[in-house]
Amino acid sequence: MSEVQLEKRESKMGSFEVPKRDVIKLYNLPADIHYCKKCSMSNQRPRITFNAEGVCSACQFGEYKRSKIDWDLREKELVELCNKYRKGNGEYDVIVPCSGGKDGSFVAHQLKYKYGMTPLTVTWAPLIATDIGRRNLDKFIEAGFDNVYGKPNGQVTRKLTNLSFVHLGDPFQPFIYGQTNFPMHMAVKYKVSLIMYGENGEVEYGGDMKNAHKPNRDIADHDKHYFSGLAPEFWESHGLSKADLMPFMAPKFEDIQKNKTAIHFLGYYKFWDPQENFYYCQQNTGFMPNTERSEGTYSKYASLDDKIDGYHYYLGFIKFGIGRSTSDSAHEVRDSKITREEAIQLVKKYDGEFPKKHLKDFLEYCQITEEQFTAVIDSWRSPHIWKQVEGQWKLTKPIWET
Amino acid sequence: MIRVIPRLDIKWPNLIKGIQLEGLRVIGNPSDFVRDYYQTGADEILLMDCVASLYNRNGIHDLVAKVAESIFVPICVGGGIRTSDDAKSLFRSGADKVALNTAAFARPELISELADKFGAQAVVVSIEAKRISDDNWICYYDNGRENSGFEILDWVRKVEQLGAGELLITSVDNEGTAIGYDTQLIELVSKNVNIPVIASGGFGKPADALAAIKAGANAVSIARSLHYKNLTIPEIKQSLHSSGVEVRLT
Repeated sequence: MSEVQLEKRESKMGSFEVPKRDVIKLYNLPADIHYCKKCSMSNQRPRITFNAEGVCSACQFGEYKRSKIDWDLREKELVELCNKYRKGNGEYDVIVPCSGGKDGSFVAHQLKYKYGMTPLTVTWAPLIATDIGRRNLDKFIEAGFDNVYGKPNGQVTRKLTNLSFVHLGDPFQPFIYGQTNFPMHMAVKYKVSLIMYGENGEVEYGGDMKNAHKPNRDIADHDKHYFSGLAPEFWESHGLSKADLMPFMAPKFEDIQKNKTAIHFLGYYKFWDPQENFYYCQQNTGFMPNTERSEGTYSKYASLDDKIDGYHYYLGFIKFGIGRSTSDSAHEVRDSKITREEAIQLVKKYDGEFPKKHLKDFLEYCQITEEQFTAVIDSWRSPHIWKQVEGQWKLTKPIWET
Repeated sequence: MIRVIPRLDIKWPNLIKGIQLEGLRVIGNPSDFVRDYYQTGADEILLMDCVASLYNRNGIHDLVAKVAESIFVPICVGGGIRTSDDAKSLFRSGADKVALNTAAFARPELISELADKFGAQAVVVSIEAKRISDDNWICYYDNGRENSGFEILDWVRKVEQLGAGELLITSVDNEGTAIGYDTQLIELVSKNVNIPVIASGGFGKPADALAAIKAGANAVSIARSLHYKNLTIPEIKQSLHSSGVEVRLT
């Protein structure tokens, strides 16, 4: 995404005005919507590419990972990597970012119990934690892991959530800052050079494919891929101090380098299947799915630890026409869990469902009114994705009409 | 006589299985499994179409018709039955009973309509019960995704009154976990209704079935342990028989 143009003013909640956004330009989107021939993803996902047959990069990678990769060889590479970093003196030798969900828990459990590493698991606190999320994290820690829990100043986090919602159209940015930068801080602090994530989302779910055949990622890509081009420092211009923002920032670049920090993805070394991670964690780390499905999708086991995340996904639906159900179903099609036909029905039924369950919490947390909330939402509706029909917003080209 | 009932959750054309009704794994071809269960002594077969509600159609007819030709124990079919015509066409395909869940919440009188037309013995109400406290459960629907707001006793009494002939009680918490049935749930329901209760969700070993039977279940539904071939029906029945439970031995 190109640098977001922001008005350099404090958002005044009384006289609330939000500029209309040029979503196509901001995210470099194609103006003509089309869908992958194999899954339910559209070409509106930032950075995704399609081949001449109309198949998205994620499906191409999915096919490649099923047919071309020698997973035994990859596992040997993992063993070598572990041998290189294993300290064997009781000190931590790998940082595993983990919320207590099925994916991070799988990574930590495998590294510790199968590959003999000594992981320090690190959790960046959800903005507003859910009971089930907290329960799963507690069960995970009980299952045999050391954990550091990073929870930043509540006032600052709140303010930052408000700012990123109003200016970036995504309330989740403060969480993403911490989720990306906190593990690096802990790596530097505990002198651990290896950070192991689960899957590379860019590669698995569609995006920049430059790391598709690499086990690691460049820390220099963080701003571009995760921060919408805006590092935490940016928000100093909106009335937050350096001290306020420090916990959200990356460590000094020279400290990261001095520590020889390397970020790797387990999904490069081992076949990545989120549903199998669920089975694994149900058995090994006490993981439980939610009692009911998350709003906007049909699933009960993914992204369930934060009351705010429904709004993150909802804004994705508004900006790109890609809701939670589209993302969930697209990778389940690639993983052969469901057919494309079922995916389309699931998208039709659940995608873009308004997350009303935590609306009151969300508005209170962001200190905005429902009118202001709606104004922000509508400012991100691009005419190539949305049209008005009898006073209702409708997708211009939903997948079930293609 | 206590019945042992294999439960097959279907996403046509596959047999699938989840944990707590989530993360549905593709297991294999359902006809092969049904045939095997019939041959090894299943007393009844339970076929549940998990995506019928999603598609607004019933895709399980072909499977029912196919298996009904070659097996001669009662077949109970659930998923996507919204009208008396839906039920009728399943009976025509060879089903002996139908199981209602989602539609029963949408239109409870459907239970009475079906009971009047086809007899109470052909109407099973399937209940997905999620524990909310030490002694209470809430009924879910749509494969455990949606909360109906009904507490368990209110709902089972209501459906019994409407003419349900049998209850399939699935513990959402225990389903797919092999940690045993929720015997408290089975006991509570059995004590408060006068129709047969099938315990479902949690079977891991024959002792679990025994506990459910002692809690009042008239039948036990088993999925995971059979689909993953951890145990066979004869092994389970033999064990129940040795514990003094009356079962049909083949």
